[in-house]
Amino acid sequence: MLYRHITELIGGTPLLRLDPAVHGVAGVELYAKLESANPFGSVKDRVALAMVDGTLDAMRAAGQTLVEASSGNTAKALRILGAMSGVELRAYTNRVRVGEVRDLLALLGADVRELPGLSECPDPTAPNDVFSVIGDLLDSSPGKFVHTSQYTNEANIEAHYRGTGREIADDLADAHGGRVDVLIGGLGTTGSTRGAAGYLRERNPDLRTVGVVSERSDFIPGIRSAAEMWDVGLFRPDFYDEIRPVESAAAIDGSLELALRHGILAGPTSGATYVAAKSYLAELDPRPGRVAVFIVCDRLEPYLSYYRKRRPELFGHSAAAPPGAAELAAAPTVDVDTLAAALADTLVVDVRGGMAYRVGHIPGAINIRDDCLDEMLTGAMPFPASTRVVFVCAVGEISARFAALLARACLPGAGLRGGILAWRDAGLPLETS
Amino acid sequence: MSDAPDAEPRLPPLLAPPVARLLADPAALADAVARFGSPLHLLFPAVFHDNLDRFRAVLDAGRMQYRICYAHKANRAAAFVAAAHDRGIGIDVASAGELDSALAAGFTPDRIEVTGPKGLPLLHRLAAAGVTVNVDNLWELEQLGSTGVARVPVLLRLSGFDPARPAGRFGIDLADADIALRAIAAGSTVELRGVAFHLDSGDVGERVAALAGCLSVLERAYRLGLRPGVVNVGGGFRQAFSADPVRFQRYLRALLAGLNGDGPALGWPGHTFGFHQRAGRYGGVPSFHKYGNDIGGAAMLADLLDAPLDGRPVAATLREALLELWLEPGKALLDGAGITVATVEFTKRLRDGTTLVNLDISRDTITPADQEVMLDPVVVHRRLAAEHTGPARVFFGGRLCLERDMVARHLVALPRLPLPGDLVVFVNTAAYQMDLSAAQALWHPLPRKIVVTERDNGFEMTADEPAARG
Repeated sequence: MLYRHITELIGGTPLLRLDPAVHGVAGVELYAKLESANPFGSVKDRVALAMVDGTLDAMRAAGQTLVEASSGNTAKALRILGAMSGVELRAYTNRVRVGEVRDLLALLGADVRELPGLSECPDPTAPNDVFSVIGDLLDSSPGKFVHTSQYTNEANIEAHYRGTGREIADDLADAHGGRVDVLIGGLGTTGSTRGAAGYLRERNPDLRTVGVVSERSDFIPGIRSAAEMWDVGLFRPDFYDEIRPVESAAAIDGSLELALRHGILAGPTSGATYVAAKSYLAELDPRPGRVAVFIVCDRLEPYLSYYRKRRPELFGHSAAAPPGAAELAAAPTVDVDTLAAALADTLVVDVRGGMAYRVGHIPGAINIRDDCLDEMLTGAMPFPASTRVVFVCAVGEISARFAALLARACLPGAGLRGGILAWRDAGLPLETS
Repeated sequence: MSDAPDAEPRLPPLLAPPVARLLADPAALADAVARFGSPLHLLFPAVFHDNLDRFRAVLDAGRMQYRICYAHKANRAAAFVAAAHDRGIGIDVASAGELDSALAAGFTPDRIEVTGPKGLPLLHRLAAAGVTVNVDNLWELEQLGSTGVARVPVLLRLSGFDPARPAGRFGIDLADADIALRAIAAGSTVELRGVAFHLDSGDVGERVAALAGCLSVLERAYRLGLRPGVVNVGGGFRQAFSADPVRFQRYLRALLAGLNGDGPALGWPGHTFGFHQRAGRYGGVPSFHKYGNDIGGAAMLADLLDAPLDGRPVAATLREALLELWLEPGKALLDGAGITVATVEFTKRLRDGTTLVNLDISRDTITPADQEVMLDPVVVHRRLAAEHTGPARVFFGGRLCLERDMVARHLVALPRLPLPGDLVVFVNTAAYQMDLSAAQALWHPLPRKIVVTERDNGFEMTADEPAARG
């Protein structure tokens, strides 16, 4: 298909019927609205375009800058749309928590400002949140910034009403007369659910809307927890039949099921929505022919660090199993006095973090942090057979693991019994960097 | 978890189990008031112990070397100081009076840390006392170095870790840390035990950044030949107030709607609760936001110990560098450990239909630094009355003859209108609320503090008396 401008690819996203044998909810036709198929990768592409369409040329001419409270998909979409028209973006956020997202915004040249946390004893006269900070910015430099304000901008809802909602109804015109019984979506700005459900409700007044939030124990990117919906100007709690919290572990499982069973590469938020959809639908009184749609808001790939932190076992480095208890117990050790006497002939590797090493290490020791050393050891052993290697950690626990790994490779290695603590307590000298 | 519409604006509080049991026992509370009068502060050392257990569990799980210093400033009561002493933890005092209190409870100088702004008389006393001084500024350091006492143990309180944040008034700015270190290295009258900071925000990222700043100062100290071994992360660990953060949030939106004219007013006229006004409309985050929190301080500490610093969790970074972690929880140890009992003196209907319930306390009896307490009190009705049995929405007024002496500036929804003689119990008031702003204006005495201990056969109550001073 031929297009002339990337914005023509925004919207018109596919609606995918999920195989009932896989999703397993009896009597339900479940569809996934693939907002991840938008050109910049997320549902926010629609909102960004709706908020700035037709205004960017004038903004460039006036030398104005876009400002928005976002560290994620909205910022990305606004940055791209703005850059194409020569308009800069400044994004304010509380700490950016997903590394790839931060890196991508940096690569694309967005100006991201992170704000400090809320004080428990706040000064009532000082601005204390993202929106107040943006408000102060607008006041102090009138006319210089344009705040797209996704959390209160009705264009957000409007984009989903005439876009997302209408497309769903049109796609289901043949199969179900355009009728949807249940719509499930994540709650960030709440624009996607309010807009899409608003349209679909006109065709089916009995439409139920389910909003998905995160459990407070962990965050899920792009959606808030139930207790954080304040100051989301568009949020109308009574609009939803239910607001369902999902834990990050379930969200991850959900996204992996979407990928491997349905072929949908979607991020943890879509996984959460899928999980909430299935559990909500399973609790309803069965009625044949029920039609449900959930929103897949973005893709999987930007969240690898999120998955790696929570499911490190899925990213296994070495094929070999880590040393077990018996191996660790049998790993060679050396005591501090023996090492002190043989220092000149020993390669001492301190596996602690950089700061601990810099503050005080055994004279002549080199520093390879344990996680870095683990990565190195997935390849060939970087140690010589001719020289004894002694690993040193704080108290001798972590060094035992590396001594065991060298023993497996039949190389002369040992852990320092008692670690740096024992060395220090014996009054032996430490050098600093 | 359905968000079913509920017409009543409620702010349900979390209740510590011993407190819940006391409130469920109608005779126990009545007995306390009969014996000790009204108003009363009731203290629950058992809750202090539970909170301390939670902190210890987190630190032990992190295999940290640590010292917990109970921040005395959160409450004057001797009972909590005694509880801290009984558990063998340290104490953080912020005045000569608090130092006296700690010594009277049996704390030895090696377990006492002194924080906060200090003048010369206090510094001379501290230098001689052998306590650890948490130094706020370079002048203080200089004074401690010239008292004639050798090797005064100090921590350097550092600040200015985040240039984006306005400069607070406490601590030595990072840029001046080297001056302090060199002064210490040049003399021998001050022993640098470590570095310290204190943040009052709940943001873990900020604490990690502060820790990183502290560690870099520690490194510079080592290079100068000093041997500090302590990192003190201060206090600011949050209290868990709310039993239902979603309802808290719904109340907040309703309060805001009232301020903006989009709904009925829930606030006393003229008060805006720290919301910000822009273009004639209120928004932002109110100053009482902490009352919507339901995650306690120990959980926050666990998050901090788990956060990445230098490629590994904070706990591992500190352990490897053989550093001892100190912390100064005050409110987090007193979370849920106290309640304030007041009596209804009279109710009154104002011209505009507002119902005012006047109590025998003032606003400052339970409100620290004028920060509105956004938790529903528990009303204990003393007698069943035929009249006034329907739900009521009231404002609580205080006993001073000042318009501003409103115990609560926000509407409280109750199942029944309180009557004269009924008890109104404000929960979770032990941390700063009882003492920080308490005044004795108009010859009103400060409420007595009564220590509650649960026994098999009921609640034992004794007046909180400071230990005899030597």
